[in-house]
Amino acid sequence: MAILELRDLTKRFGATTAVDHFTLSVEKGEFVSLLGPSGCGKTTTLQMIAGFETPSGGSILLNGRDLRSVPARQRGLGIVFQTYALFPHMTVEENVGFGLEMRKVPGDERRRRIAAALDLVHLSHLSGRYPRQMSGGQRQRVALARALVIEPELLLLDEPLSNLDAKLREEMQLELRRIQQEAGVTTLLVTHDQSEAMALSDRIAVMQGGRLIQEASPFEAYDRPTNAFVSTFLGKSNAIDAHLEETRDDGAVLRCGDIRLAGPPSPARPGPVLISLRPERIELCDAAAAHVSGRVGERIFLGDQWLFKVETSLGELLVVRPNSGRREPEPGETVHLSWRTEHLRILAAEPAA
Amino acid sequence: MRRNGVFAKLFSLVFALFMLAPLVVVVGVSFTPEGFLEFPPSGISLRWFRAILDNPDFIDAAIVSLQLGVASATIATAICIPAALAIGGGRFPGRDALQALFLSPLTVPTVVLGIAFLRFLSTLGLNGTFWGLVFCHVVIIVPFVLRLVLASVVGLDPSIARAATSLGAPSLTVFRRITLPAIIPGVVGGWVLAFITSFDELTVTVFIVNPATTTLPVKLFSHITQTTDPLVASVSTVAILFTVALMLVVDRIYGLDRLLIGEGSH
Repeated sequence: MAILELRDLTKRFGATTAVDHFTLSVEKGEFVSLLGPSGCGKTTTLQMIAGFETPSGGSILLNGRDLRSVPARQRGLGIVFQTYALFPHMTVEENVGFGLEMRKVPGDERRRRIAAALDLVHLSHLSGRYPRQMSGGQRQRVALARALVIEPELLLLDEPLSNLDAKLREEMQLELRRIQQEAGVTTLLVTHDQSEAMALSDRIAVMQGGRLIQEASPFEAYDRPTNAFVSTFLGKSNAIDAHLEETRDDGAVLRCGDIRLAGPPSPARPGPVLISLRPERIELCDAAAAHVSGRVGERIFLGDQWLFKVETSLGELLVVRPNSGRREPEPGETVHLSWRTEHLRILAAEPAA
Repeated sequence: MRRNGVFAKLFSLVFALFMLAPLVVVVGVSFTPEGFLEFPPSGISLRWFRAILDNPDFIDAAIVSLQLGVASATIATAICIPAALAIGGGRFPGRDALQALFLSPLTVPTVVLGIAFLRFLSTLGLNGTFWGLVFCHVVIIVPFVLRLVLASVVGLDPSIARAATSLGAPSLTVFRRITLPAIIPGVVGGWVLAFITSFDELTVTVFIVNPATTTLPVKLFSHITQTTDPLVASVSTVAILFTVALMLVVDRIYGLDRLLIGEGSH
């Protein structure tokens, strides 16, 4: 059963439409991410669910109940803010207990639940501290405990990891997933960080310009993007302009300039299309087996992998190869590239701007 | 932090001496055994401090000044907290006009304000009354309070109030338990600055007092125009001590740096 249902949710600020007929449902226990660049309307959507913004149209249902006439303080949602928004003059324990106090939970039970929430986020030993005496990661956990202790029907996370440094962010991703699953709480995450969304979510809703672009599991969204925006926003991708000449049941024929390429079967109609090809799906091969050849322009070492920029007649192609200790091509060297046909994605061409 | 050069240090030292010198002279003069203003004093005597007790009008004036300071600082603070929350909270039509209105007393020469208040209070029949004085002082000190409270409000994370709301707190509880404690350094700082400004105010006050409501600065002023005995010095010394004591207490509780400069409040 859907815990949260957004139906044609719309928000206009004057002449601009921030959220445009946005429809999404979140199942019980699910972890869903709203992913998109800044200004795509994801934060406005979260604000409307939380009750801090009033929708211009559409509806928000929580457990089947319309939230339109329910004020923010009665929605009973757990929210973790980007800035954590801890109460600076209260200890960790008082911060976490605030929601229970507002619900008039009696002292004994309150202490028990605060202890359980702090235990869940591994902060029991710091309950007497003030927020200013804690690190970013610890504050983040306090904010989580404070949101979870009220046992919300829905947990809203607003860019919760964006204020942490890269290493801590990775640790907290795993931690956040563990906590969410232990608490079994339905969660909606708002983020612009595609790796965060992929690592944490059961499902990703990609937003652009206030609209829902694609809704899929992280694997599906990455592997089978339905449009050019999703293919470049989720991970790296080579986008190649092409012309779809012919589609058959067993495959498609594509032309890029003078080069003919075989593609997977596609429902697209003949005409201009965009091909998306992931850099890690391109292999180096012999001249005879090559789809295309080119010269290595730049070579960037990323530790666990190498990133090559190869100038080919299809344009510049990014190629990623795992660092397995073997010799890799040098800049200036000629390389031959191939890939399996099914790794090409045929997408609708970007409309001319 | 950047280290200051020799000249910068020297300049600060000279400037501090320049600011402190008059106080040193006043305190020095107050200990004179003689019947006239003399510096350095020819001896040490508490004669002029005892003389304060023989002049009950000085004590009465000090009490009026204290009451006036407390009443006007409190009223000004009560007005400025909601104003600062509104102005610092976000854009709305008339926001800049509201802020300009609150800060405008700073831009009007105080003598002009004094004359204006005299006419205004006379018309209302409040001239020379305590509450008339309170009204005028509130107008004069509101800019100081607003500036300090606003500084605290602007530094406040708006998500904090939202977090409290989402946890189920009604708006009054959010204000009492979350917002007010978070801006309290600015509120206390504003109150103290307002109190001191009111306690010290002469230019406007001299136009609108009557003998029953004479404040300490006005009393000192009128005394020194008539005689030159060191009583003014000893009264001033007591006032300086009182101010220093007030500052020390506030510093102990909140830290003056935080209140008046706003540094390290997070």
